[in-house]
Amino acid sequence: MNSSSPHPPSVSRRQFLRDGARVAAVAGLGGLVGLAASRSTGKEWVWQIDPDKCVRCGNCATHCVLEQSAVKCVHAYALCGYCQLCTGYFEPEPNALNTGAENCLCPTAAIQRTFVEDPYYEYTIDENLCIGCAKCVEGCTRFGNGSLFLQVRHDRCVNCNECAISKVCAGDAFQRVPADQPYLLKTTH
Amino acid sequence: MTRRLSFKPLWRAGLLLAVLLGLGSLARGEQRFPPPDFESGHQLPATTTPAARALGLEYLDIAVLVAALGVASWLIYRRRSRRGLIWLSVFSLVYFGFWRYGCVCAIGSIQNVALALADPAYAVPIAALAFFVLPLGFALFAGRAFCAGVCPHGALQDLVLWKPLKVPPWLEQGLGILPFVYLGAGVLFAATGSAFIICQYDPFVPIFRMGGRTLMVGTGIVLLLLGMFVGRPYCRFLCPFGALLKVCATVAKWRVRVTPDYCTQCRLCEASCPFGAMREPAAGRPEPAQLARNRRRLGWLVALTPVLLLAGAGLGAYFSPAAARVHPTVRLAERFLLERDSPPRTGVLSPDDLALERARQAPRQLLEEAARIRRHFSWGTPLFGGWIGLVIGLKLVSLSLHRKRTDYEPDRGDCFACARCFEYCPNELVRRGVLPAAAISQAAAAAARPEPVVAKEGAS
Amino acid sequence: MSTQDHSKNRTECGSDAAPQKEALSQGAPAPLNRRRFLVQGTHGVGFLALGSLVSGGWTTPGNAAVNRFAYDVERFSTTDPKFLVYDRAGGFPIPDPAPRRIVFSKEGQLYVAGKRGVSVLDRSGGLIRLIEAGAPVRCVAVDGNGQVYAGVRDHVEVFDPAGRRVRRWEAPSKKAWLTGLAVSKADVFLADSGSRLIWRCDLEGKIIGKIGEKNPERNVPGLILPSPYLDVKVGGDGLLRVNNSGRHRIEVYTADGDLELFWGKPSAAIEGFCGCCNPVGLALLADGRHITCEKGLPRVKRYAADGTFEGVVAGPESFPKNAQAGKARDSEDGTMGGLDAAVDARGWVYVLDLVAAEVQVYQPKGAV
Repeated sequence: MNSSSPHPPSVSRRQFLRDGARVAAVAGLGGLVGLAASRSTGKEWVWQIDPDKCVRCGNCATHCVLEQSAVKCVHAYALCGYCQLCTGYFEPEPNALNTGAENCLCPTAAIQRTFVEDPYYEYTIDENLCIGCAKCVEGCTRFGNGSLFLQVRHDRCVNCNECAISKVCAGDAFQRVPADQPYLLKTTH
Repeated sequence: MTRRLSFKPLWRAGLLLAVLLGLGSLARGEQRFPPPDFESGHQLPATTTPAARALGLEYLDIAVLVAALGVASWLIYRRRSRRGLIWLSVFSLVYFGFWRYGCVCAIGSIQNVALALADPAYAVPIAALAFFVLPLGFALFAGRAFCAGVCPHGALQDLVLWKPLKVPPWLEQGLGILPFVYLGAGVLFAATGSAFIICQYDPFVPIFRMGGRTLMVGTGIVLLLLGMFVGRPYCRFLCPFGALLKVCATVAKWRVRVTPDYCTQCRLCEASCPFGAMREPAAGRPEPAQLARNRRRLGWLVALTPVLLLAGAGLGAYFSPAAARVHPTVRLAERFLLERDSPPRTGVLSPDDLALERARQAPRQLLEEAARIRRHFSWGTPLFGGWIGLVIGLKLVSLSLHRKRTDYEPDRGDCFACARCFEYCPNELVRRGVLPAAAISQAAAAAARPEPVVAKEGAS
Repeated sequence: MSTQDHSKNRTECGSDAAPQKEALSQGAPAPLNRRRFLVQGTHGVGFLALGSLVSGGWTTPGNAAVNRFAYDVERFSTTDPKFLVYDRAGGFPIPDPAPRRIVFSKEGQLYVAGKRGVSVLDRSGGLIRLIEAGAPVRCVAVDGNGQVYAGVRDHVEVFDPAGRRVRRWEAPSKKAWLTGLAVSKADVFLADSGSRLIWRCDLEGKIIGKIGEKNPERNVPGLILPSPYLDVKVGGDGLLRVNNSGRHRIEVYTADGDLELFWGKPSAAIEGFCGCCNPVGLALLADGRHITCEKGLPRVKRYAADGTFEGVVAGPESFPKNAQAGKARDSEDGTMGGLDAAVDARGWVYVLDLVAAEVQVYQPKGAV
């Protein structure tokens, strides 16, 4: 067995073809990347909800890849009426206007109600509890000013290649936004 | 958790930046009604905007990828070190897997590139582009170094491999078609903007994230359990990026060789590959009568390939409307047309009903969009069908090709460059100084016996 | 070693010996029977296809059929027929994409404040003329001489009966956000949601008083306005009716600002005012009874002069688009939905739907 050459001939037909194919592949890959790169902006993109398009369907709570959705209710305080009877906080026909669980709308008690001055109350969202179900957003938007709205929270979002919620979003509200301006907030202007 | 904490100062700065720069440009319409003036002087809190991951860290990912690919190539070809590759795998699993949650990932990047090429409006992230091209570029020179120790999916499966079973060749070859089909499907649905199915049906990302859709968590666990007995089941029989790497690796400049020096035909490495990539030396030229028959068969198969391609394209065209339904817009448009004349729904609306209401508000826009997507699919599905036909045809042709092979060597395309087989080679052991040079002739003699004694020592 | 030894050895070790032997004997390189590959492969593909069909295959996970987190006000969205005291008598669209307020002039013409200006319509919705104010008009009033007062966000524009601009009153306050106007013989009352009070002006626009401002000494609790829908109407008795929507009640003031009476309670039930801030619109019948308009659950109801609930003009089921108002992109300034109403000399109620931009006409049941 030692008589057979330990190495194949340096240039064979096969080797030549292989080298040719490799050169072609490098060129092809280069072209592909050049074409794709010409479409790249060098920006990073993240997912965000356009609050004007959101229809509060509830899918954000159930379709995020994370155990607890990265979509949270956020509060545009400058739009809030600071109502005593907040329709985002209380059930549609509460027994009493107090913090009793039976009167509260939020399924996870994520909204906190604090007294400011008569008759105004401030509402804040505990994002560790909020699941992004938009129940309060619907209540606030239907009866009130819509100061509660949903946003993808980027300290939680894992920025999936394709957002799982975006594909089931009933309002087609999910869009990619530049990572340096990652929020679409409701403002007073 | 740690990640969130470590970026706290960063997002504070981002918040400030967003307030200063961002919000002004997001102005919409007239001024809105302001809240009351508080007599107590209560100040309105600001809406917090925790920043997204900084762009610089994307470049870090790319740098880590390049470094890992380089280290993997060095370990495979220079150090020939399985141990080194194990440690690299552990690192990749931790960094790209559990730290980066398996995302950004080369497998999924196929879709970003496909969408970028098909849709001018989509800007592919630099990181996704880099994760697509760098492993392929490396594969053209160094084979599947990416699979060997950089890909977290591969690393996870490689590390759970316990008692590899031999997959029957017919099954191995048959299932080997699947990655190419999956690749085609992934490109089709990504390029049409319908879905990133490769990400959606990724079995391991839910494990990296420690949670996800029940179906995919289950699939991931099943694949891992299977992976204890069947080496890298996802890599071999599903991974679409593996299909691309395989093609690149077949024309790679350097290839993985079992022996560092020359092959003694001792056959100790014969069963060393848990991934079915080891190829034995082929017998010499067949008899002339056989040769004629084989050539005729090959001719038929070559002729059959375009037929398969056309048949696939035809089937693809037939299924085009069904495939278009994967796109949510097409589904919604169809439902809209079906229920156009029914009265608006009342009561508590389901997500589907809400989507329908949206359709009713701008039906023309929706229908035009759906028609556009359908047109794309009428192109895409025949191409996809043709691709499947072509892959099957080429597979049959390749199975009928006679390859001259004198040594035991891993298949260029199928080899994951895991470096397991190296330790089976007595020449390698000599190189490492584990065995004296004289041991080689003894080993060759021992190979004639059915039980590969030295191989066992090497494995332990 | 010889080839023979080789193959023998393999046959002993190989798990499926027969095909390998066959492959070797044919000289084919792959240890695989081609026919077997094809047959098994076909089976495999068949099973796969079947499996993907059964499991729904490629399709993305669909929308949930129900929203478990739905905000449910269904039980309030239909009206018990026994409460309905009006019949629908017609309706017409408004030639303005974003109408706000509707009033009748003494001559029986409809004046609709809206984005395009003040649209003057006849009873059947025919456009008589459009008075443009250069900005969206949020409220309108017409005095006995046919002079038109149009509230543009923070000030009033005055037009003569032919629609020519006569004067521009200065904004009463920086925060002014005018959402309601009423004219009596000598005064114009500006309902200012921004300042949360009613300005009393003379016919020249000079401010001569403030009404509804919080004043514990006069026992005036102040107006709570979460959203800009403050309205004011002057009754035949010279008293002002003001909707204090954050307190869910109607307050009756004298022109000097004394609170005479208030009534109303928060409730989604039919006799109360629903949501966080209702009612959003007011109209007065000649005999002093009230027509109130609500948003969220869009409904129009009639109350006696003392605030006793009398019946429903139209319930949420009559304004399907309005009931879904929040579903759509909201308006530019963030106000969402709502209704307003005007009453003609016969007592017929003209309900303006802000979302659908149309008027629904209701006549009292049993009226000829």
